[in-house]
Amino acid sequence: MSEHHITPLRTYLIIAASLLFLSGVTVWVSYIDLGSFNIVLAMFVATVKASLVAFFFMHLLWDDKKNLIMFLMSLMFFGIFVTITMLDTAFRGDLGLNPETKDPINKRAAFYDTLPLTDTHGHPVDEHSGKHDEDKDHH
Amino acid sequence: MAHHNPDAPSHLKHYFHDVNQQYETSKFAMWAFILTEVLTFAGLFVAYIVYRSWYPNMFIDAHLLLDVNKGLMNTIVLITSSLTMALAIWAIQKNNKRLSVLMLAATFIFALVFLGIKYLEYSHKFEVGQLPGEFYSYMGPDAVHLNNPHIFFSIYFIMTGLHGLHVAIGMGLIAWLIYSTQKGNLTSEYYTPMEMIGIFWHLVDLIWIYLFPLFYLIG
Repeated sequence: MSEHHITPLRTYLIIAASLLFLSGVTVWVSYIDLGSFNIVLAMFVATVKASLVAFFFMHLLWDDKKNLIMFLMSLMFFGIFVTITMLDTAFRGDLGLNPETKDPINKRAAFYDTLPLTDTHGHPVDEHSGKHDEDKDHH
Repeated sequence: MAHHNPDAPSHLKHYFHDVNQQYETSKFAMWAFILTEVLTFAGLFVAYIVYRSWYPNMFIDAHLLLDVNKGLMNTIVLITSSLTMALAIWAIQKNNKRLSVLMLAATFIFALVFLGIKYLEYSHKFEVGQLPGEFYSYMGPDAVHLNNPHIFFSIYFIMTGLHGLHVAIGMGLIAWLIYSTQKGNLTSEYYTPMEMIGIFWHLVDLIWIYLFPLFYLIG
């Protein structure tokens, strides 16, 4: 087994220090309001950290490339999973949006007993509009 | 005949040509397992993405109920444990059994600290009722305006819970590594189990690297 690459101690220490530094950076930038760019930046920093872990701690940099390909395939399938799901959920119009105004997801949740129904902006919603009126007509 | 070279080391299975082929095969299989792990968590990440895209404001407000300091502390603990795990492998490669066992023990303790902090977080949430689905009952002044916060906490508990389960399983595996290394079963000639469990442990770190900003640092 002596032919295995032995990563120098220095490399491990530098990578760990970078990971700790980047963790600090990601907390720091989260307190700056950059609008929707916050999440992009947070995911970018997380991906840099994940790459450091995968390439150095998990030894992918020195491994046979088939291991890296296996790992990248898992990420590729994740991408397909997200894309195809979002093609549905992001384009449902009012079928998907504000489901709680049409039909609360879980009416048994304790806080529904005490809270008036609201839409996603916190505006109250009249529970007895729409369908209920139709029911009354039949009486 | 299936019998091979009598000089071959005892850990070499007869169906492998040499130790290196055996090691590479084990490692490739480990990465196949990592693929299934990534896809397991992928389902939960998709749930997160879909619900966050439906309730962007609720996610931002509900995440304020989490304790960033505890999350950051756990990030530091887990990264440090990843380092000590890597150093345990480094030490065994150099045939330094004592240092390797020491580093494994440190990794175990860091894992315990991680679960301890997680326990403090969970017990607080159980106390105030920031719980998944129908168990959610928190009505504090910082939450009364929230719309469907129980969805956020469903996803939070499932994702961090499954991750915590991985930490617990990792602790069991590391405990076994400490035993095997101390006993002398793992050496610079044969340390495949340590390398494999190391990869598993780094995956646990890698998933937390995404969970931390997604739950504690939205905004």
